[in-house]
Amino acid sequence: MDENTRNELLKLFEKKLTHAMRLYLETCSRCGICTEACHVYASMGGVNHIAAHRAEIVRRIYKRYFKGQGKALPWMGESKELDDKGLQELYDAAYSCTGCRRCVVYCPYGIDTQLIMSVAKLLLVGAGAEPDVLTMLADMSVAKGGSLDTFREGFLEGIRNLEKDVVEKWKSEAGETPIPVDKKGADLLYVALAGAHSIVPAAAVFNAAGENWTLSFFEAVNFGAFVGDPTKTKLIMDRIVNEAKRLEVKEVCICECGTAFRVMKQLSGRQPFQVSSLTEVHARYLREGRIRLDKSKIRGRVTYHDPCQIARNAGVIDEPRYILSHLTGDFLDMTEDARYNWCCGGGGGLVALGDETHDFRMKSARVKADQVRETGAAILATACENCHSQLGDLNERYEMGVEVRFLSSMVADALAA
Amino acid sequence: METVYYIILVPMVYAAFGIFVLGTAYKLVRTFRSPKHPSTLRIYPERKPRWLWALHDTFLLPTVRRHNPVHWVFLMAFHIAFLLVILGHIELFAEIPLLQVIPHQVFIGKGFVGLVLSVALLFFLFRRFHSPYRELSVPEDYYLLILLFLTVLFGSEMDWARRWYEYGGMMVGDYRDYLTSLVQLQPDIAFVSYGGHSFMLVLHVFFANLFLMVFPFSKIMHSFFSLAMNRLRR
Repeated sequence: MDENTRNELLKLFEKKLTHAMRLYLETCSRCGICTEACHVYASMGGVNHIAAHRAEIVRRIYKRYFKGQGKALPWMGESKELDDKGLQELYDAAYSCTGCRRCVVYCPYGIDTQLIMSVAKLLLVGAGAEPDVLTMLADMSVAKGGSLDTFREGFLEGIRNLEKDVVEKWKSEAGETPIPVDKKGADLLYVALAGAHSIVPAAAVFNAAGENWTLSFFEAVNFGAFVGDPTKTKLIMDRIVNEAKRLEVKEVCICECGTAFRVMKQLSGRQPFQVSSLTEVHARYLREGRIRLDKSKIRGRVTYHDPCQIARNAGVIDEPRYILSHLTGDFLDMTEDARYNWCCGGGGGLVALGDETHDFRMKSARVKADQVRETGAAILATACENCHSQLGDLNERYEMGVEVRFLSSMVADALAA
Repeated sequence: METVYYIILVPMVYAAFGIFVLGTAYKLVRTFRSPKHPSTLRIYPERKPRWLWALHDTFLLPTVRRHNPVHWVFLMAFHIAFLLVILGHIELFAEIPLLQVIPHQVFIGKGFVGLVLSVALLFFLFRRFHSPYRELSVPEDYYLLILLFLTVLFGSEMDWARRWYEYGGMMVGDYRDYLTSLVQLQPDIAFVSYGGHSFMLVLHVFFANLFLMVFPFSKIMHSFFSLAMNRLRR
C-alpha cells in the first residue's frame, strides 16, 4: 500500500472518530467477558471470532496512528501499520461479523463491535477492497433514486400484475385499488422489498385495516449500510425520505427488513413523518380492532426469531409477541430475554453475498439451529428478509424440520372476515 | 542513594501528578469534544430511568456477574478495595472527620484491603495466562497488572508491618508530614527517609508514580469513561 492511499484511508478513519467511537477504541480491557457472546465463536470456536479480538484489529490501527502510546511504544499495545495485510485482517473481521450487537449486551462497558466494524468496512470501501457485489447493489439503488422516470412504467406494470394476486386471495379486503402507488396525501407510505412476498400480504392487511396507504417506488433494503459506505447509505435512505415528504405522508412503514428499518428509524433524523416497522403497524391494527385474526389458520407450535436490527437494536420486541398471541395459542419463545436471542448468522451483508458466504453462514449459526430445535416448534416466524433467507438455509442444512415464515404473511393468511 | 530517594519522593511525584492531571484532562476533552454519534447506540428493551441503569451497569457490573460470576467476585472485591485505598490515602493527608463515621485506625481495613487487592491482581494476571484471554491480551495488559501489583505490594507491606507485626519505626504521622510538605510545596523527606521502611516507601511511591504517569494513556481511563459508555448502551 502506498503512502497516499494510507493517508487517504486514515482520513476516512478520522472521520469515524465520534465521541462514542473514541470511547470504544480507548477503553477495552480485553477481559474476555464477550467470549461467549458471538454466535460465530459459540458455533465454531476460534479466538479471531471473539468480539474483543475483532475490535482489536481496528483498535491496533487506531493506536498506531491516533494514540500517543502507539506512536511512542508500539509494542505495548501491539499497534499495527495499516497495510495490505492489515486490510485483509479488517476484511476477515468485518465480514465474519453480522453486526448483531449481542456482544454489547455482554461487555461491562457496552463496547459496540458493530460500530467498530463500521470503521473496518469504510476502510475497505476506501481501498476498493470491499465485496464487489454489495457495492454494485448499493450503486444500483442509488442510480434508481436518481432516475425514477426510467423505471416508473415498468414498476407500475409489475404492481398491476401483483394486484391480481391480492384480489384473488383477499377478495373482500382488496378494495378498488388494491395496491395504491404515488398517492399524495396518503397517511402511510409502505416501503417494501422487490418481490411479491413483501408486497402482496402487506397490501391485504393494509386494505383490511382500511388504511389510507401508498406503496413506495423504492425498495427498502439499504446495501449502502451493508457495505459500510455512509454516503451511499444516506443517498439510499434519502430517496425514501424525499418521496415521503413529496407525498406528505404521516408515517413511513418499513417492510420486514431489519437493516432498512434501523437505518430509517435511527438515521433519518427529525422528519415530518414517523417511522414504523410493519410489525409495529400490524400490532397497532390489532390493538385498535382494525383487523381480527383467526387462530385456527395456524397449526402447530410457533416460535419467533427476533431479527437483531429490529429487536435488540431497535426495540420492536413486544409487538411480534402480541401479534403471535392473536395467531396461535401455542407460542414458545427461544429465550427468556430477547436480548440474548442468537443472531441468525446472515446479517451484515452475508446473506446478500450469497453462495460466497454460504458455508461460513451455515457453520457459524449452529447455535441458532440448536436454539430453534429446542423449542420443538413447527413454525419459525420472523420479520426480516435476511433472517428469513438464512433461517431457510439453516432449516435445510440442520434439518430443523420447521416451516420458516414471515410474520406479516401469517397475519395476512389469518385475516378473519 | 539519598539523591535517588529525593528524586523519587519529590520531583517524580510532582511530575507524575502533573502528567496524570494534564493527561487525563486532555483525554477527557478530546473524547467528549468529538462529534456526537448521529444515531442511538442503545440496546433494547429500554429501562428507565436510563441514568440510573447506567450507574447500575457501571458500578455493579451485572453483565460480568451473569456471564462469569467468579471473575465478578474478584472484580468487585478489587474495585471496592481500590476505593478504600483511595480513601485511606486521603486520610494520609489530613484527619477527615467525615471519613471517620465508622471509627477506624488509618489505614482503613486492618491490612486486609491491601491483601484483597494483591490477591485480585494476581488472579487477573494469571487469568491472562490461559486461553482465550492469553490471545486477547497485549503487553499493556500484563505490564499494568504487574505495575499495580508492585505498587500495592510495597504499599501494603508498610501497612501489614504496622498492623500485624507491630512495626513502629515509621508511622502514619510521618507519612502525613511528608505528604503535607509536598502539598505545601515545601518538600521535606526527612520524616520518611530513615529506618528500614523508607526503602519500601520509595519503591511504593516509585511504582505509584509510574502508574499515575501511564494512567491517562492506558485502558485505565475506563475509570472515567465507563459511565459514559454505559449511558450510550442505555
